[in-house]
Amino acid sequence: MRQPSSSAPPPAESLDAVQAALGAEHAAIWVYGLVSAFLPEQFEAPVGEGTTAHRARRDTTERLLADAGQTPRPPEPAYVAPQPVTDQASALAVLVVAESDTAVAWRAVLERTDDKALRTSALEALTGAAVRATRWRRAAGETPAARAFPGQPA
Amino acid sequence: MNVARRDVLRGLALLPVAGGLAVGTVACTEEPEPPPPPDPLADLAASARADADAATAIVSAVPALAAVAGEVAAARDEHATALRAEVDRERPPVSSSTPPSSAPPADPPADEAAARELLAGSLDAAHQQAADLVAGLPAYRAGLVGSVAAGCASLRVVLG
Repeated sequence: MRQPSSSAPPPAESLDAVQAALGAEHAAIWVYGLVSAFLPEQFEAPVGEGTTAHRARRDTTERLLADAGQTPRPPEPAYVAPQPVTDQASALAVLVVAESDTAVAWRAVLERTDDKALRTSALEALTGAAVRATRWRRAAGETPAARAFPGQPA
Repeated sequence: MNVARRDVLRGLALLPVAGGLAVGTVACTEEPEPPPPPDPLADLAASARADADAATAIVSAVPALAAVAGEVAAARDEHATALRAEVDRERPPVSSSTPPSSAPPADPPADEAAARELLAGSLDAAHQQAADLVAGLPAYRAGLVGSVAAGCASLRVVLG
């Protein structure tokens, strides 16, 4: 029996939550790819930033799962946006949904692990998603733009 | 033999008394139970309350920041309430007395830049204070405190 050299792998409940968070990252990457056609040039930089952040999180999450002996969940073959994306407003709205879903998934990881490193990385992911969701709500002219408890299931 | 047995009996009879004395002695010299360490969430709740009060004062003192400060005040008020509820749930207050109120906030700066800086500084500090706790908390509290940290970072975006 092979023991990992550093620490024990996170327990099954944590790994399920991490798989769900990976699923949210895949969905967010799909959304960022979808919206760029509907957003003017001024949004190019923040869309690129969000895409990079979600890809990086996806990659580290896949590595974490593989190291724990799990098969990382692949992206779904197809996604459906909750509302049709046809213009700037609907594009901003679906970005908010993607970031909010990601925040919920990572907060769930926080509550299902005692592993300090995983907690730290889940908090980073939750905070990043919350900050981007706030920026997209601001861009859409929504007030209040921030949520008091990002990631708290509604 | 008789004498010896009587001594034995007396010896046995004395035992409980001696035991009682020993127990009594221990009870008298025992230190009172040390109070439990302070709940780390109590500090977060106090910061949130102080931030909410300071932001509320800015709403009326700096009209240019009223909307933003109002959003900060509302969110930090929610943080204070939720954190306090968690502190009280885990360790119900012994009396009905309210927790010691924090010092009244200093007069808010009337200058917009100074007020903005004050809000930004307190949000950054609150974000750090919550984030530093997350790794070490029991799992059932990590979600709440993580959301408070992420909420402070989000409010910072609103502040610009």
